[in-house]
Amino acid sequence: METDSILKQDQENKQEIGNADLVVGILGEFEPDGVAAVCDALRTVSGSPRIAILHDGPAPNVSNSAAPEGSASLFFVPSPLATPEAPGGSLLSVMAAYQSVFVASEKLGARGCCVIASQIEAPPLQWVRQLAEPLLDRDVDLVVPHYARHKFEGLLNGSIISPFVRSLYGKRIYNPMGPDLGISRRLFSKMLGAELRAGGGGIHPLASLAPMAACSNLEVCEVHVGARVYPPTDWMNISSLLARVLDPVFVDMERNAPCWQRIRGSVPVTAIGEPIFVSQDTGSVDIQRMVESFQLGNRELQEIWSLVLPPATLFELRKLLRLPPEQFHMDDALWVRIVYDFALAHRLRTISRDHLLKSMTPLYLGWAASYAREIQTAGALALVQRLERLALAYESGKPYLVSRWRWPDRFSP
Amino acid sequence: MWGQIKQALAQSTARFLTRFADLLPGLAALIVALVLSIIVAFILAVIVRRLLTSLQFEQRLSRWGFSSMADWSPMNSPTLLVSRSIAFLVILTGFLIGIAAFDAQWTSLFAQSIFAYIPRIVGAVLVLMVGGVIARFLGRSVLIGAVNMNLQYARLLSVGVKWLVIVLAVAMALDHLRIAAGIVELAFGILFGGIVLALSLAVGLGSKDLVTKSLERDARRSANEQYEDPLRHL
Repeated sequence: METDSILKQDQENKQEIGNADLVVGILGEFEPDGVAAVCDALRTVSGSPRIAILHDGPAPNVSNSAAPEGSASLFFVPSPLATPEAPGGSLLSVMAAYQSVFVASEKLGARGCCVIASQIEAPPLQWVRQLAEPLLDRDVDLVVPHYARHKFEGLLNGSIISPFVRSLYGKRIYNPMGPDLGISRRLFSKMLGAELRAGGGGIHPLASLAPMAACSNLEVCEVHVGARVYPPTDWMNISSLLARVLDPVFVDMERNAPCWQRIRGSVPVTAIGEPIFVSQDTGSVDIQRMVESFQLGNRELQEIWSLVLPPATLFELRKLLRLPPEQFHMDDALWVRIVYDFALAHRLRTISRDHLLKSMTPLYLGWAASYAREIQTAGALALVQRLERLALAYESGKPYLVSRWRWPDRFSP
Repeated sequence: MWGQIKQALAQSTARFLTRFADLLPGLAALIVALVLSIIVAFILAVIVRRLLTSLQFEQRLSRWGFSSMADWSPMNSPTLLVSRSIAFLVILTGFLIGIAAFDAQWTSLFAQSIFAYIPRIVGAVLVLMVGGVIARFLGRSVLIGAVNMNLQYARLLSVGVKWLVIVLAVAMALDHLRIAAGIVELAFGILFGGIVLALSLAVGLGSKDLVTKSLERDARRSANEQYEDPLRHL
């Protein structure tokens, strides 16, 4: 319904606005200065394109006449949609916000669109331009960010989403769910078409973009950007976050099953810019708390896990109960099998999907504790190597997933 | 005098034998009906069991979200539950047919009252089934939620909630069946109140430690204000 209102409004405004080469949705909570900095960055996009900016808040005073000759011309289009908090924020508001950018881009006849949703530690001048230019200059279909990482940040992406998408779809994309993204007309039209066919449900603009690009053999590239500023952890709502983020990923996996079952191994995607390394002096993590959560779950949730996990995995998990926090270690292969088994149970609807994903929280915290203990003193290079090891474990576990996916009845826990 | 006694005895014996002889065909009919219904029930049960097994009924049931049916089934098998229920219904029908062979008027009244009671039984069974499903769902929700909130008494809370719903469903079912309505209401009130009180006490006493731990953690943090957990999930 919100998308419809956007459509109507866009149709009314289109006569006045005209066409745009690029639409940029600024969805994060930016101060006027931040928006102005993004605008300055967009002016430097090569080829003097006409850029429409969708923004909820007050628009800064951007005058095209004051801009240097040959720079991009900008104009604001107010977005009637709420600003999403993050990819795991209110699912409807995130979906609606991204959809609004796609619809506006379609209506304005844009060649591509960008979404700026994060605060980045580095000034936006370079990375915003790098996100936009490949769409216009190189005919790339999906531009994803490769954020510089602090070792304890983006854990959900690092431990599940990125290696999972890599092993399924064979593309080494480090942040497949953005949230800062560049999308070509070809790709967002596909997304809108799929959304229309799905009857307004089931296509998550963030979770579906990278799989759709990979399965349609579209061009994907990565842009190296600075470290993203993450919101502080809300420990009371981790299970809801996990459920909200993993549900669309697993739903998409089911939709694309014919595609990913054919893919073996992975290939890197084109990278733009140089990798940025940031300081890894980040302070210590409370591992004890996470291990306690894991152990409580391991004691109390056996009844639920036994519906999802095979006996060998349950046995391995029970062995972890005896380990003290200072020796706690969850093997990558075990973690990968757990993720794949939960993905399969999600497909089979073994139990309510909400219950299933929320019951995964102690396991996730267990892996996070093991990871945090392992890389506590690691530097930037060791961090990259550690994540690569995990990604390879996902790839080597894929035959297990494929066989269980094809013949789920051969094994019932 | 003796002749009269003999005559009365002969008449009463004849009457008894006549009545008994009248009953015999009905009794034979009851036995035949029961035997036949048992044979038909057995055959039907076997057919239904094989059919459901070939249709993977149990797997489908758990996929449709009725995995809790297994808990209420003999040997944890919903297939057995269905086949045995069908067999029981066939035997019950055979028994009613057999009873009808005795006395048409009495049995028709009996059958009428049984048939009038059947909707209540069906309603009560439905209430119990829905109650069971809701109890399991809520119990699981509470268990997962409490574990994720790091509550040590998660299991107790979950079991408490589950039994609250089950007690409520059983009381509703018995009330629907009009079985000892007064006692059921009283017993339900006592049980429901008892469970809530027990839960409150358990949670209250258990949370003493929780509050202490939480205060200690806060105190530690305020003592070291520089500390901020660097973990970021998304």
